[in-house]
Amino acid sequence: MSATIETLETRSDAPTYTRSRITALGALGEPFQWLLAGSLALGMTMIVGFLLLVLWNGASALWPKPIHLVTFADGTRIAGEPTRTEEFRVGAERLATLDEAARQRIRDLSGYAWRTLYRTGNFDFYNDDFRWAADFEVRQVEAPADLYFVERLEWGSFVGRIASVEVAGERLAIDDARAVAAHREAQRRLGAIRSLEHGAIGQVNARIERERLALRRVAITQSEASPEYAEAKVRADARIAGLRAEYQRLADEVQRLKAEDQRYRVTLVEIGGKDKTLRLSEIVRFYPANAVGWFDRLGIYLSRWGEFLVDSPREANTEGGVWPAIFGTFAMTLLMVIAVAPFGVVTALYLREYAKQGRMVAIVRISVNNLAGVPSIVYGVFGLGFFAYTLGASIDQLFFPERLPSPTFGTGGLLWSSLTLALLTVPVVIVATEEALAAVPRSMREGSLACGASKWQTIKYIVLPRALPGIMTGLILAMARGAGEVAPLMLVGVVKLAPELPIDGVFPYLHLERSFMHLGFHIYDVGFQSRNSEAGKPMVFVTTLLLIAMIAAMNATAIVIRNRLKRRFAGSQF
Amino acid sequence: MTETDAVLDPKPAAPLRRVTRRSVLIADKVADWSIRIGGLSVIVAVFGIMVFLAQVVVPLFTGGRVLGQQSFKIAGTAEALVAGGLDENHVVAYTIGRDGEIGLYHVASGRRLVVPPLDFGGKRATAFGRSIVGGEIAFGFADGTVRFGKVTLTADLVPAQALPAGLQSLGTDRTDGAAVFSPLAGDQFRKTALAVSLDAEQRVAEGRAIIALDYRSGGTVERPVRTFVTVDDAGVPRLSLAETRINMLTRQARTAVSTAVLPPLPAGTPVARAMVSEKGDQVYVVDRGGVVFRYDTRDAKDAKLAETRDLLVGNATIATIGFLIGEQSIVVTGSDGSVAVYFRLAQAGATTTDGFRLVLAHDLKPHTAPVDAFAPSERGKMFVTADTAGSVVLRHSTSEQVLLSLTQSGGAAKLAALAPREDAILVVGADGTATVWHVSAPHPETTWASIFGKVWYEGYDGPAFTWQSSSGTDSFEPKLSLVPLIFGTLKATVYALFFAVPIALLAAIYTSEFVSPKVRGTVKPVMEMMASLPSVVLGFIAALVLAPLVETFISSVLLAFVTLPLSLLAGAYLWQLLPRDLSLRLGGGVKLALAFVALFVGVLLAAYGGPAFERLFFAGDVKAWANGDIGSGGPFTFLLLLPVAYVAVSILSERMLGDWLGIERAQPGVRTGLTDALRWMVTLAVAAVAAAILATLLTAVGLDARGGMVSTYVQRNTLVVGFAMGFAVIPIIYTIAEDALNSVPEHLRGASLACGATPWQTATRVILPTAMSGVFAAIMVGMGRAVGETMIVVMAAGNTPIMEWNVFSGLRALSANIAVELPEAVKDGTLYRTLFLAALTLFVMTFVVNTLAEIVRQRFRKRSAQL
Repeated sequence: MSATIETLETRSDAPTYTRSRITALGALGEPFQWLLAGSLALGMTMIVGFLLLVLWNGASALWPKPIHLVTFADGTRIAGEPTRTEEFRVGAERLATLDEAARQRIRDLSGYAWRTLYRTGNFDFYNDDFRWAADFEVRQVEAPADLYFVERLEWGSFVGRIASVEVAGERLAIDDARAVAAHREAQRRLGAIRSLEHGAIGQVNARIERERLALRRVAITQSEASPEYAEAKVRADARIAGLRAEYQRLADEVQRLKAEDQRYRVTLVEIGGKDKTLRLSEIVRFYPANAVGWFDRLGIYLSRWGEFLVDSPREANTEGGVWPAIFGTFAMTLLMVIAVAPFGVVTALYLREYAKQGRMVAIVRISVNNLAGVPSIVYGVFGLGFFAYTLGASIDQLFFPERLPSPTFGTGGLLWSSLTLALLTVPVVIVATEEALAAVPRSMREGSLACGASKWQTIKYIVLPRALPGIMTGLILAMARGAGEVAPLMLVGVVKLAPELPIDGVFPYLHLERSFMHLGFHIYDVGFQSRNSEAGKPMVFVTTLLLIAMIAAMNATAIVIRNRLKRRFAGSQF
Repeated sequence: MTETDAVLDPKPAAPLRRVTRRSVLIADKVADWSIRIGGLSVIVAVFGIMVFLAQVVVPLFTGGRVLGQQSFKIAGTAEALVAGGLDENHVVAYTIGRDGEIGLYHVASGRRLVVPPLDFGGKRATAFGRSIVGGEIAFGFADGTVRFGKVTLTADLVPAQALPAGLQSLGTDRTDGAAVFSPLAGDQFRKTALAVSLDAEQRVAEGRAIIALDYRSGGTVERPVRTFVTVDDAGVPRLSLAETRINMLTRQARTAVSTAVLPPLPAGTPVARAMVSEKGDQVYVVDRGGVVFRYDTRDAKDAKLAETRDLLVGNATIATIGFLIGEQSIVVTGSDGSVAVYFRLAQAGATTTDGFRLVLAHDLKPHTAPVDAFAPSERGKMFVTADTAGSVVLRHSTSEQVLLSLTQSGGAAKLAALAPREDAILVVGADGTATVWHVSAPHPETTWASIFGKVWYEGYDGPAFTWQSSSGTDSFEPKLSLVPLIFGTLKATVYALFFAVPIALLAAIYTSEFVSPKVRGTVKPVMEMMASLPSVVLGFIAALVLAPLVETFISSVLLAFVTLPLSLLAGAYLWQLLPRDLSLRLGGGVKLALAFVALFVGVLLAAYGGPAFERLFFAGDVKAWANGDIGSGGPFTFLLLLPVAYVAVSILSERMLGDWLGIERAQPGVRTGLTDALRWMVTLAVAAVAAAILATLLTAVGLDARGGMVSTYVQRNTLVVGFAMGFAVIPIIYTIAEDALNSVPEHLRGASLACGATPWQTATRVILPTAMSGVFAAIMVGMGRAVGETMIVVMAAGNTPIMEWNVFSGLRALSANIAVELPEAVKDGTLYRTLFLAALTLFVMTFVVNTLAEIVRQRFRKRSAQL
């Protein structure tokens, strides 16, 4: 400080300053102030721009767009949704193939031209979902009313005309009310088939597997030659036979439904004239993109959001919904909080209320603070090496020997992910709780102790309630951080596609060892690992919007809870 | 609160009761202990992370261990032995003698098993050759004939019921006299046996004794191709190709041998060994003095003597020579105890006919006595050397480390062998004592030097830092140097901080010093919101939205670095034109709003000026320019010099022109503002001229920024990473720095302002120096975050492990590397442990940086509390 004061003194001694009564221009540092203000403005522009970008792209991704029929200068035609339009630099080779008028136009734009990306769909015909159309090669753009946008279960979306719908042997036009009803019926049938396959048949399979494992367990604990094993085998065989019969009955039922399903078919014709016939149930949604009104568009938009939120993904995660990922993110975050809350609070209590405040505690506190800055991937490495490979492998040896060599807990899973993230966020909770504890006035503790309350009573009735807002804030901030982390999860249990949710109707209902899907990893996977990152982009943007909204909601909750609890305790000062 | 009241309520009866209720006491004790234990265990657990990581890493550096040792006597003399080996499970050991005698021994008991000898028809082999893998052997005889054979150790599973009757016991194992049956779990036995075959004679050198021979077998099962090289006692080297065709109809094999005589050796060369590569394109003949004659036999009909080179130092004679697996490395041992590894490398200045040269790549730790036995590994770059004094060394060629130093008591080593899984060594001494060591060396390729230093890998021109953990080919050697990854991490951090630190700090100063608390109340949460953006989202936007945009409009992006500050400064000089009372009344918030406008103008200028800027400075194409294809480095040097020149000139002009024009002392107003704006423009012009002159001079000298900081453009580059990382780092630095600035005691600020200092003077001369340590801590914490950031670098950095500071190229960071490779790494393998070391490195790096920041911050807190 002394240096500053000296500077000030010398400055005020300077004749310039003592003599003049007015502020000099140089002293205002106006250009510097503007650079400072500009930096702040840039920072705010970055964040606001970023959020607007995500919001706009995420919110508009599911909006049904019109279909354009584009005729190129060479006569070829494509039909597709205009996805985006951008300026691009025309390469020299491309330029050489163009005529003079087009070249002049590009020259006027300093070598740039505009192009539009059309989502043509029809991957099964074109081997691509997208097609660029530069403005200088397009001859005509139309929007015919009879072009349909068809979302299919396989091969992505279809753009073209619907030739006919075959309902139980009868050919109908697509705008026939019976065709629409048949489609709804077909979808219901597909739902029934799926619920049988995944629900009832899945349960039977799980029970057969459980019988098999129980038998194997007897074989391991008693040896295959023992009478116990022979007895268990007889019993297991009988049960498995019963289950097999049950399975057969369900499979027959599915077979019957599928045969029925085969009788409802639809024929699609793409713009070039090639056609394809598929089952009506394979169509998720269809609409004449250029003929639907604004209200219908809103309906489609909302139904797509509904599908996005409650359905499972399909087409390598680039379509369908993200329900398993939402579920996985929530389950993981919840488990994490359950793990982190007691430990974080207890540690903070120890550091603040029990430990002797000395050099040792200061060092521990610095370390805990620093652990908040240790890269999350390091926790992931630890989680994999310690939780999954060391702890999990021992659990498998002890409790699940019948399943070896395929690991149960000895590989990444929900439990290990939650614990890893709990470890990652425990410093956040410790620091927040400590701050909250420190904010409780000393006089209150002393008052309580002076009244004869024990230390634990003081903590329980005086300190903790008052520190609760701070603790809650810390916990929710930890949740927000945990929900957004992806890197450590990539090592300890997140997968791109989990066949089963961690909670289902099969005993023991909560499957902590299962790997799970996660919104953040979903973004990484669809954006980077899918066959066509362009096709997955709308999906990624919507997922991004959802994830950011979730985290923002958590942060907002933290603030609301803090404020409410603050108000509650505001009046009860000593 | 009612509960609390109930407990605290001083009940009238209380003073009488002196005894605390037992339940309260017990609860207190329980809470006391559980909180203590819980708290301490969390702290222990948190430190346990570091210990656990270290414990996984340690085996990388422990070399090898001996698990057990067994000795037995072999039958016959050790002098006659030409080859030997162990099976995969080292149950048995075999030896082959010059006379065709085969010894098969049960290792644990030393008992000899019965194997019929190879039938040489009474002849004695004068030369012997074998392949490294596959047990292909060849013998040369005094009459100029060659015979091929095959020795294979087989291991088959036999159920207990199928065991032959009448087995004799060999400890835990059993034998029928020829094969060994070892019990396994689950009532099974493993039958280990030796299978030997010997083909018919091939006549190669008519009437002359073959003194050196080497043999490789290749081709397919249907059409085996055998390549072998022979040297006869007249010193004539021959390369022969024996192609066997099996007639599909008659199932008869016909072998056609084509022999090419290679250019002769100098007369009287005492030939010691001959070697041939598997494809038959290289032949080496070595004389006793260690001179190697290397033939280029890619065209066998027109073979050339490509190179002659002495591989040994001084008068030493050659003891052994042989390939390591992959045939890129040649191990040479000498009578002086030296052990050296040579590579055949393509070198630009090589004087040889084929452009290749033998280069000494690894000079390994020598023995004290002549090294008479050498055995390569079948799967890696490990090998065994044994000397005449009884010392046996297990080493690794690439890492140059000695894994194990052993001693055997059987006199001079005559034969050495390494088990197929690199887990046992067999050495036979001159007195016939065979010793088998069961060893474990799971990570022979890693040492501190190989992970953090330069390593000379096969096929490389010299030692280098390389990270390449996997490849498609089998003979691939993982290259695990962490240096390129640490470099990548530092590169990302440095460029991210270049971008983030100025913005965050300047914004923090403005927020803390120049805006009203109300504006601050909205601005700060907005900036902090940035911190809660998940990094996977940032990475996705950076890679899929930003990177293509930056690539298309790279010239505008570069121009923005010039136009943004310029438009802000222009805004400042325009602002100064406002009447003083008006500008005072408008204050910080309005200025901030106008800064947005200035920023927008700057962006527009950059967007529209981009193409012109590109033509003017980058010869019309930034990417081609950066690649060094077109244009000169001058204009870019000018751009780099411009800010430096501007700062220098403006300081000068303030000192001189300011006084002269009277601006320094003049009252703010339209007139002064105009003069000042004019001065600014002149300053800018002078700076530009100065920078241009300097740039021309530097370019004339030959300085070009390209090749260093600017070079070949790739889409996912450090510019994009730096920008995306800014989102992660800016809010952290901003928040901590702003807190530090804000916690400077209010009385200092008040005193300064009361003395007549302007807010700007107060900020730079009072607040900033006081809060300096807090600001420093903010930068350190931001750096810690940048070092550990994973998803952004995984997605936006391209993940190429290169070491260059080029801002237009990608990088591979430690964190990204872990995230990408660890899921596929085999548990407890070398890669797995190396990745744990990478994690430990990250841990230590961030821990050090954060601890430093924390200590500085605490000092700052203490200091500001004293003020």
